Amino acid sequence: MHGFFLTLSRAMAWLGGLVLLALILLTCVSVTGRALSGLSPGIGPVRGDFELIEAGIAFCIFAFLPLCQITGGHATVEIFTTRWSGAANRWRQMLTDVTFAAVLIVIAIQLAAGMESKLRSGQTTFLLEFPLWWAYGASLAGACVAAMVATYIAMLRLAELALRRPLLPATTDPEA
Amino acid sequence: MSDLAIGLLSFPALLGLIFLRVPIGLAMFLAGFAGLVLVSGDAGLPLARLKSETFTTFSSYSLSIIPMFLLMGQFASLGGMSQALFNAAAAWLGHRRGGVAMAAVGACAGFGAICGSSLATAATMGRVALPELRRHGYSGGFSTATLAAGGTLGILIPPSVVLVIYAILTEQNIAKLFLAAVIPGVLAALGYMLAISLYVRLNPGTVAARPPLPLAARFAALGAVWPVLLVFALVVGGIYRGWFTPTEGAAVGALGTAVIAWANGGLTLTSLTQSFMVTARSTAMIFFIVLGAAFYNGFLALTQVPQEVAAYVAGLGLGPLVILLVILLFYLLLGCLMDSLSMILLTIPIFWPVVQGLDFGFVSMADLHAARAAEALTQGLALAPDVLAGIKGALAEGGELTRDQLRALEIRGASPGALARINGEQVAIWFGILVLIVVEVGLITPPVGMNLFIINTMDRETPISDTYRAVVYFVLSDLLRVALLVAFPLITLVFIPI
Amino acid sequence: AQEVTLKLHQFLPAQANVPKDILDVWADNIERDSGGRIAIARYPSMQLGGAPTELMDQAIDGVADVIWTAVGYTPGRFPSTEVFELPFLVSDASAASYAFWNLYESDMQEEFRDVRILATWVHGPGVIHASDPVLAPADMEGMKIRGASRQVNALLETLGATPVGMPVPAIPEALSKGVIDGTTIPWEVTESLKISELVEYHTEFTGPMLYTLTFVLAMNKEAYQALPDDLKQVVDDNSGLDFSVFAGRVQQDADAPARQIALDAGNEVVTLDAAQSAEWARMAQPVYDDWLADMQGRGIDGQALIDKARALMDEFSAAH
Ligand code: NA
Ligand code: NA
Repeated sequence: MHGFFLTLSRAMAWLGGLVLLALILLTCVSVTGRALSGLSPGIGPVRGDFELIEAGIAFCIFAFLPLCQITGGHATVEIFTTRWSGAANRWRQMLTDVTFAAVLIVIAIQLAAGMESKLRSGQTTFLLEFPLWWAYGASLAGACVAAMVATYIAMLRLAELALRRPLLPATTDPEA
Repeated sequence: MSDLAIGLLSFPALLGLIFLRVPIGLAMFLAGFAGLVLVSGDAGLPLARLKSETFTTFSSYSLSIIPMFLLMGQFASLGGMSQALFNAAAAWLGHRRGGVAMAAVGACAGFGAICGSSLATAATMGRVALPELRRHGYSGGFSTATLAAGGTLGILIPPSVVLVIYAILTEQNIAKLFLAAVIPGVLAALGYMLAISLYVRLNPGTVAARPPLPLAARFAALGAVWPVLLVFALVVGGIYRGWFTPTEGAAVGALGTAVIAWANGGLTLTSLTQSFMVTARSTAMIFFIVLGAAFYNGFLALTQVPQEVAAYVAGLGLGPLVILLVILLFYLLLGCLMDSLSMILLTIPIFWPVVQGLDFGFVSMADLHAARAAEALTQGLALAPDVLAGIKGALAEGGELTRDQLRALEIRGASPGALARINGEQVAIWFGILVLIVVEVGLITPPVGMNLFIINTMDRETPISDTYRAVVYFVLSDLLRVALLVAFPLITLVFIPI
Repeated sequence: AQEVTLKLHQFLPAQANVPKDILDVWADNIERDSGGRIAIARYPSMQLGGAPTELMDQAIDGVADVIWTAVGYTPGRFPSTEVFELPFLVSDASAASYAFWNLYESDMQEEFRDVRILATWVHGPGVIHASDPVLAPADMEGMKIRGASRQVNALLETLGATPVGMPVPAIPEALSKGVIDGTTIPWEVTESLKISELVEYHTEFTGPMLYTLTFVLAMNKEAYQALPDDLKQVVDDNSGLDFSVFAGRVQQDADAPARQIALDAGNEVVTLDAAQSAEWARMAQPVYDDWLADMQGRGIDGQALIDKARALMDEFSAAH
């Protein structure tokens, strides 16, 4: 079970990384094209590079969220809770992760609503005039996986509370 | 309860959540959501905002620079740059007392020139330098403290993620901020080396020196790091010269370091995957905080808190320097408990309206005329000798030029409005660099210092309390530098054209 | 006493011309005429969050109660309004704003069905601001120009220039670095962007404008419905045709002081005569053809819109 969600999260992160790399290449091609635009009328910056980056980077971030979620990568402040008892910390952790799951579910649902509204209104981008809902749709895929992973983590935390023992590693390697 | 009261009360509520170890981004999100519900009467408003706000926050062209810089740092490490930098620094500094620690700081500075994040710099250089420091007999606490402090150079030396966020929040020019950070960043590295030499003198017995290397070997070690210099020059120089936008610069730098990594045989499928994973994790962490902050700051704006705070502070009649010092002190205190990015995102929307109104009078009309005239005189204008003499005379006396003299020099845009804009920009840049430093101090101040934690997890034998004790030297060096930069704004602004 | 607070959200700083001279006037009048029962809370500079492109959806979803936006921020959604953005069609902002409101009532209500439109207007003549003189259409060849709308970009491409997309605040930086050679914007905007300090040449046209942009002041439907009838009346009385014409006129009038700044700075302001301008207008014909084909694909009779817009603008000009 954990293996499945971890693999899924890593696969999403990989996909996001690949898209990020593609955006980097696209940007470099565009910069080169602009620099050489004087040489020939056919050479110039990539048309609509700006809006491709905007659409692509949103997908990357959403695709990166599941991995951050499952490896506990979100920044926290640990000072007052370190002296709490194990049971108190399990309750705290459970409440935090259940809330986080709820938030990510709400985010995914509202993003779907946003996509639906862009689909209905027919809004496009400025230069390339591709429908904006495509970009929303790609992002929604990442948001859904993030919501699923967060729900899985929340359920593990509830199980930890019932079993009174940890199921997930307490801290993860920051470079994992 | 009035909207303003709800807005003000949201601060303690938010801090409470954060200290209950709720992830910072989530805490801001929850505070913003609850605040919007309280202000508007139901959940319709925050839910409606969520339809587009997650997407528009994440689909930001300017913020896309962040994952690119992070990936660039990963590639640089794959290309062996971290090891090469350490070897080069050790070749030049290793024979001094505390030289290996100084070399670690020097390598951190070099790595900071191609990495936008403190945590990544600390983690990367920690892997390379921590074993070396321990091998040369440095104590555990001093080794971890050195690398935690060295890691902050990742942000202090451009490129810098925190400066990017500051630039976006305050609508300032990223290139100028990067340029302004260079001298303070170098001063930081020198200050840390001073702190090291002070430490080894006060704590004898910790250092074993080795004989100096011959010059040829030193230059050979330096020869291995030229790609770092090249990428740094291309990215920061290119952004500054306007060859490309900051985002484009980040893309060029990422591609450049990828090529170096590939050429050095460091880029394999496994290592690429690892780079993606690390970049993904940090990027998601940063952007979730950005999202939470956007949500929370939108709520604050609705309650008019930033406007009221700015009006209140303006009404106090305090001098600009007093206001500045109070804000910096506030950051130093908050930095003991919070991380740098969250602090910037949380506080700049409140403080910026206050700071924006401060006038330190850095540039006078005469300065502006002198700068513009110097530029114009290099253009080889055909001026009548008496006109030229008049202009030179006025400039020599440090006075303003007349309207006719300005016309003759074909100078435009030397109006009082332009002067006010230039002064505003100078204050914004100076304040940005000062804030950058004080929030970065937070990364190494106990009890909560992310860099201390990161390095400490790499050295299981050293208790964090040892690290806390040794890091004091570096924190003192930081405070000294802040005082220096407050007293002499020119250190920061010398390269910023007016 | 105060009964309702309406949140007015828009993207410009509070001291810019449109917020100061148009939106504040509207809001102050409503507050006064409602005897203080309506308060308008003003949020400039996107203070309530989101990007300018989201303003229309914010009004639809109720994130803000009233928004002011450029219709071009949401390409593809309100295609009929583009008729006013066609190059060399509009000669006067008041006349075009008059035509825009009338055409809104007769032909565009369906496109704006999710929101209540309070006013419709256009800005003054779009001007070319460039680092090199621009006289003939051929001068544009190879220049990198920041275009203001889809139609302007289409025209720039037709002329052999490279349209570069960027948000308005990025223009000064891009000009000073030579990332772009020029920009198209109305005079009024050049003041806050200090354009006259960055370029030396400005090209104006005689007769129809190079281009203009369409703006709407829009209100959330539920927020309007929730008002008691007498307050609805207050909003209605301060909105609609008269206010639209007022807004167009005020925005066009704001051009003159900014133009004077460029003249004072010693810049060269070239006003192409009628014959030269007509030459440019001829070059714009492909843009019209493409637009008509595009509208046909959407089931809209573009030529009818053009004819109606022209007739309404003539009607207004004849009466004034
Ligand atoms: Na850096
Ligand atoms: Na700290």
